[in-house]
Amino acid sequence: MRKRIHALIAVLGIAFTVALVAAPAYAATTEPKYANQAAKECADKLAAGGSIDDCQKAPSPLKPANNEIIWGSLAFAVLLVAMWKFGVPAVKNMEKAREDRIRNDLESAELAKTDAEAERAQYLAQIAGAKEEAGRLIEEARQAAEGVRADLIARAEQEANEIRARAQADIVNQRNQALAQLRAEVASLSIDLAGRIVERNLDSDINRQLVDSFIDQVSGSN
Amino acid sequence: MNALLLAVDVPPISHVTIWGSGPLGFNKTAAIYVFATVATILLFAVGTRRKDALVPSGILQNSAESGVGFVRNQIIMQTMGTDGLRYLPYLTALFFFIFFSNITEIIPGVQFPANARFGMPLALALLTWVIFNVVGVVRQGPLHYLKNSLIPPGVPKAILPLVMIIELVSTFLVRPFSLMVRLFANMLAGHLILVTFGALCAALFAAKITVVILPFSFLLLVAMTGFEILVSFLQAFIFTILTAVYIDSSMHPSH
Repeated sequence: MRKRIHALIAVLGIAFTVALVAAPAYAATTEPKYANQAAKECADKLAAGGSIDDCQKAPSPLKPANNEIIWGSLAFAVLLVAMWKFGVPAVKNMEKAREDRIRNDLESAELAKTDAEAERAQYLAQIAGAKEEAGRLIEEARQAAEGVRADLIARAEQEANEIRARAQADIVNQRNQALAQLRAEVASLSIDLAGRIVERNLDSDINRQLVDSFIDQVSGSN
Repeated sequence: MNALLLAVDVPPISHVTIWGSGPLGFNKTAAIYVFATVATILLFAVGTRRKDALVPSGILQNSAESGVGFVRNQIIMQTMGTDGLRYLPYLTALFFFIFFSNITEIIPGVQFPANARFGMPLALALLTWVIFNVVGVVRQGPLHYLKNSLIPPGVPKAILPLVMIIELVSTFLVRPFSLMVRLFANMLAGHLILVTFGALCAALFAAKITVVILPFSFLLLVAMTGFEILVSFLQAFIFTILTAVYIDSSMHPSH
């Protein structure tokens, strides 16, 4: 590339030098004298059978004048060489720096995305673990509560049974007491009544035994 | 010298049309605009063809992406902020269209910037005028837009009528006119400079003694050719950023 640029510069330099040297000789050979280039071109058109109106027309609606094309192209070529030598490498460097920067940014973004996904998976695993732990704790608590409930119910039933048994025993005692009292009362009343009837003072112990046996007989017959 | 005269003198339209004549005549200027349109479309069509390639490669993709980035960051974000991002497609197309129709002034064989004729700059300036006025009316309402455009805040009542007339002229008449003239005149001036130096080189080349000046004239022609690349870019940039500023003034009247 460098060799080609040097060769191009050398060719342009030689052409320029030759043109510089040949210019006075070229100028000397132009015989007819015209006021300017436009006048010469107009004279050529008239000589070729054209009208004066043709002199007012642009030489071409598309193409610039030959002089303009030649010198403009030469200037453009020199500028192109300079740009090729200095501008293009700079542009390529900028292009490469831009590509590298975007590539690095994309790689960083990819890395960050991978990290974020890993963290997300970790968080999800932690959440799942926490949920499992919470479920286990809830189950344990439920089982403990169930145990406490069953224990309380059993104790309550036991206490109820004891209370019921005590109450029944009390009832039996009370009944027996009441029967004994009743029996004593009935005996006293019977003795008192019999005493009054026979108006005879009997030995109370004997009478009581009589009454008791009587009551037993009566209750046995019932 | 003939070339210089042709550059200064605008010939009748019938003399420069390639096909047809009158308003529908097709000439070199129109051909350059067709080129600018096709070049803009091709740049983005080919530059964005590899949609799956996030890392850019090649001059076209880099240029297309850098171009959009340039308009976005250096024009829209500097003038309109994020509100203006909806105008990114229009402003990008405007920038590249103007640049491509300017840069032809240094292309050998063409050597003419299409914007050295005021037709298209006028059309683009009027388009900008329509856009910023429509945006102003839609965003602020017709009466508020007119009031905000004509009455700057803090102006004493005594000079308000004068200021209103000045604002009316500057906002609604001078803006499109200056936009058009700035682009057209700069490109025409650049074209004339290149043609002048080209003609000067040709004249010096044909002369006897003054031929020694030719290298200097030629070097200046080279320098001016390089300068015109900068001008082509700069004028596209100025036209686009002023369009953005005008649209922004309609969107955010307090600025």
